[in-house]
Amino acid sequence: MKILFLLFAAPLLAADYSIADAQKFLKTYCHSCHQGAKPSGGFNVAKLNTMQTLLDDPRRWGRMLTRVREHQMPPLKMTQPALDAREAFSNFVDHNMKTAACADGIAPRQPLLRRLNRNEYSATIRDLLNVPIAAGHALPADGAGGEGFDNAAETLFLSPIHAEKYLDAASEALHYGVKDPRSRTKFLIADPSATVTHEQAAQKVLDAFLPRAFRRPLRTGELDRYMTLYRTAYTRHKSYEPAILQTLQGVLLSPNFLFKLEDANAELKPRLVEDFALASRLSYFLWGSMPDQTLFDLAAKGKLNDPEALREQTIRMLKDPKAQEFAEYFVEQWLGTRELGRDIKPDPKLFPSYADEEVASGMRYEPILFFHELIKEDLPLDNLIDSKFTFVSNKLMKHYEFTVPERIRQQPVKVTLPEGTHRGGLLGMAAILAVSSYPNRTSPVLRGKWILESLLGTPPPPPPPGVPPLEADAAANPKSMRERLELHRSNVVCATCHNRIDPLGFGLENYDVVGKWRDGADALGELPDGTKFNGPDGLKTLLMQRKDDFMRNLGAKMLGYALGRGLTLEDYCAVDRIVANAKTENYKAHRFILEVVRSVPFRYQPGTQLNVSVE
Amino acid sequence: MAFSPISRRTLLRGAGAAIGLPWLEAMAASKSPIRMAAMYIPNGVHEKLWTPEGEKRDFQLSPTLSSLEDLKSELIIPTNLWNANSVGGDGHYVKISGWLTSTTITKTLGVDVSANGISMDQLAVQKAGKVTPIGSLELGVSPVTTGVDRNVGYTRVYGSHIAWSSPTTPLARELSPRAVFERLFRAVNGGEDSTKDAKLLLDRVLEDARDLRGKLGAADKQRLDEYLSVIRSLEDRIARASSPERSKWKALGAIDPAAKPEEEPKTFADHVRMMFDMIALAFQTDTTRVATFLFGNEVTNQNFAFLDGVKGAHHNISHHENKEDNLRQYALINKWQIEQYGYLLRKLRGMQEGDSNVLANSMILFGGGIRDGNKHDPHNLPLVLAGRAGGRLATGQHLVYEKDSALSNLYVAMLKAFGIPVEKFADSTGPLAGVLA
Repeated sequence: MKILFLLFAAPLLAADYSIADAQKFLKTYCHSCHQGAKPSGGFNVAKLNTMQTLLDDPRRWGRMLTRVREHQMPPLKMTQPALDAREAFSNFVDHNMKTAACADGIAPRQPLLRRLNRNEYSATIRDLLNVPIAAGHALPADGAGGEGFDNAAETLFLSPIHAEKYLDAASEALHYGVKDPRSRTKFLIADPSATVTHEQAAQKVLDAFLPRAFRRPLRTGELDRYMTLYRTAYTRHKSYEPAILQTLQGVLLSPNFLFKLEDANAELKPRLVEDFALASRLSYFLWGSMPDQTLFDLAAKGKLNDPEALREQTIRMLKDPKAQEFAEYFVEQWLGTRELGRDIKPDPKLFPSYADEEVASGMRYEPILFFHELIKEDLPLDNLIDSKFTFVSNKLMKHYEFTVPERIRQQPVKVTLPEGTHRGGLLGMAAILAVSSYPNRTSPVLRGKWILESLLGTPPPPPPPGVPPLEADAAANPKSMRERLELHRSNVVCATCHNRIDPLGFGLENYDVVGKWRDGADALGELPDGTKFNGPDGLKTLLMQRKDDFMRNLGAKMLGYALGRGLTLEDYCAVDRIVANAKTENYKAHRFILEVVRSVPFRYQPGTQLNVSVE
Repeated sequence: MAFSPISRRTLLRGAGAAIGLPWLEAMAASKSPIRMAAMYIPNGVHEKLWTPEGEKRDFQLSPTLSSLEDLKSELIIPTNLWNANSVGGDGHYVKISGWLTSTTITKTLGVDVSANGISMDQLAVQKAGKVTPIGSLELGVSPVTTGVDRNVGYTRVYGSHIAWSSPTTPLARELSPRAVFERLFRAVNGGEDSTKDAKLLLDRVLEDARDLRGKLGAADKQRLDEYLSVIRSLEDRIARASSPERSKWKALGAIDPAAKPEEEPKTFADHVRMMFDMIALAFQTDTTRVATFLFGNEVTNQNFAFLDGVKGAHHNISHHENKEDNLRQYALINKWQIEQYGYLLRKLRGMQEGDSNVLANSMILFGGGIRDGNKHDPHNLPLVLAGRAGGRLATGQHLVYEKDSALSNLYVAMLKAFGIPVEKFADSTGPLAGVLA
């Protein structure tokens, strides 16, 4: 237990840690500045002296927790607590704050108004018009916030450039669609004829198009207003088709289309979100696009909130090919592989196989296809740690140096891994090994940091300012990476974190920058207490033993993605429930995702009274 | 005629003593617009090869700057400036996001993103009023870095922006040279028909938004207002394009449709140059007077192996640990960046404008928010300013200030030269001495 505690900075809680221990910590490391008549920075920790204060003053405790956990306090010139003391204290505070926050259930939050992000915009236009084009290709890329995803409300900014691009993109998509019969029949459902006036045709088109574009039933007067626009356009163009296309372009510029809008809840207490809003929450979570007709129909009947219907729909959606979109956006951002080929490019001169288009794209898609398979086929999510299959194209398989009986072509397919390939699970995937490397060499530090951050959700703090450069104490001019890093760790300031980071990374040294296996690499991981493990297989065994920590991080990431925002303390209580419930079915994918869908933050919206909990 | 507009050069030619004249009134009627651009380099520079030898007008360019020799008389190189508000925070994000704002950023994974100030380029756009069809260009060569940096607790949005139109609105960058070209082309040659069509739609959008507004809470209203304001700015541009009488603006040159850049730049280096071509074209035609450009996002690990003698990733090399081999590569990257800057400056210099040229009527700032990348050093930032802003800047100097002088003072001087009477910007104490002519 001790070993694992040192290995993973997970929110483990020592059972016998009490408020008295926390008091002792504060006294030893904080009181010299932060108490008395004039506490430093106006921050008095003497006020944090009982369990009750944890319940009453979570903001103050929270501020302090961040400072201590991120090694910002105590300042370097003061006596530093040992790492395990720092963590025991942090975990105690964290655990008790959570307990306090969720004591009476979980209060939902209203999601901030947010626009469709670039991918959602493209997918929504694609489904709305049935056009096979990425309409949003020219929109600027979106930054990420919250749990690290580009669908986070807080970072979906708007710049003047967006308005121009929306104008062009809508026109481009409509003009493409009108020329393609498969698309035209989807949205231009009426034409003027001997018996149908152009206005009647326009009305019919708009009556069907507007509710789909706005993802809800029309409100009084809405159709009329777009008919007014149509008539003005008709006066200008004197012809049906250009006039209706222009009107539809107007629909696609409306905030009702571009933003994810939900009717506010006027009651005092939280309520389940109404059906149409739920349909959109589901579809943007699991498809990255608008609801389909089935979801709209269920919403119209008011049946989507029915638990059985919700379960059925969630599973149907996960089996739908559009769930690959969820796999792609979620996995690429969770694991950081979206940067592969962008900011992170293995040097093709040093790693010629990466220069091959098929290998490069096979690498990129391997984690996506793999995750998609798990959610489609309802497989246990611990396959992400270790697995007996993966997805390869012919050349990626050669890159990995194994063979299978069946014939593999350019298209990546699922293969059962033969014995001894050292593949299976995320850690054997080339994309992951590449994004945690430099373009020209591997780095145990980067890989260790990647594991802590992406897999376990426990990123190490940044190096403290003013750390001497590596060579300042390097009299002996060490040769190997291990010797250099060992020297670095001989500095006690560096050692506290690098003792945790580096050994994990060394476990992956058998893989080069692009994930090719290299024999004889120095892949021995040694933990601070001397426990040793060897290579990726040893590392995977360790991770399997700590599966719950991995799942908690996955749950947090997935809930953050589903909600499109950063998680609060209370949301983490929801994560704990998701993980605990999913564990009862061995973390099978459907149950896991269903638990996210069923969670309070996903299904509820707050009322006018703040911070009212559900249950 | 009682008064005839007079260009700075004529003034100087006429009287050597004219330098001390109050230039503002005389310049007010000058036909040439003043342009301003800021080009940001991430990850700092090789500090020992940056600073010129000598001072004032008697100086020699440093090894890193040596390729600008033919432009030396057009440069101001200020030494010892910094953004005091970028100390602390983290090693990179606050350095870039605060570069043009001279502020610090709010530490957040996203909930309350704020630069706590607007950037000087956007202040120039807002104060100058809507003169040109495009307010400003925000350009780059790589998309915003994805994800949040849990290691230091910042969203990576901060690492990818220098232009802030409000403390909470980082401006998105255009990455496609062709898309920029098409925007410029439309601004110069915009057809009347399509603009009337667009106007109709935008009116409809504004009406929808007004309907919605009443139903939203305060925070959401602000979001919706962001959308309204971008729609309004587009509507305004369109309205002016469609009614020449509403606009005094006239393009200063034609755009040849055949000059349309290729769809996809082939290499990183091509991409940078194509973007510089677009800035030059925009300035030449007066489609915009303000531009910002990012050579890369902070912490970028762009592979510079395309340069002879470099074999690694930018951020990694910048943490050189004082190793000779890393420092050599670091310097080569800096030299290449300066060469690209020189390419833009020469291009602008080659664009005739009256009896002057576009560079002489511009201020092109090059620099970063970090000096030595190894230490994330925010002191004595690497900065070069080129162009005379129509004679308002005293170029041809290496100006050495007291240690830790405010970078915001340089911005005050630049804004004044741009024609905006600011007295204070962020933590400034006045226009940086010696910069204004």
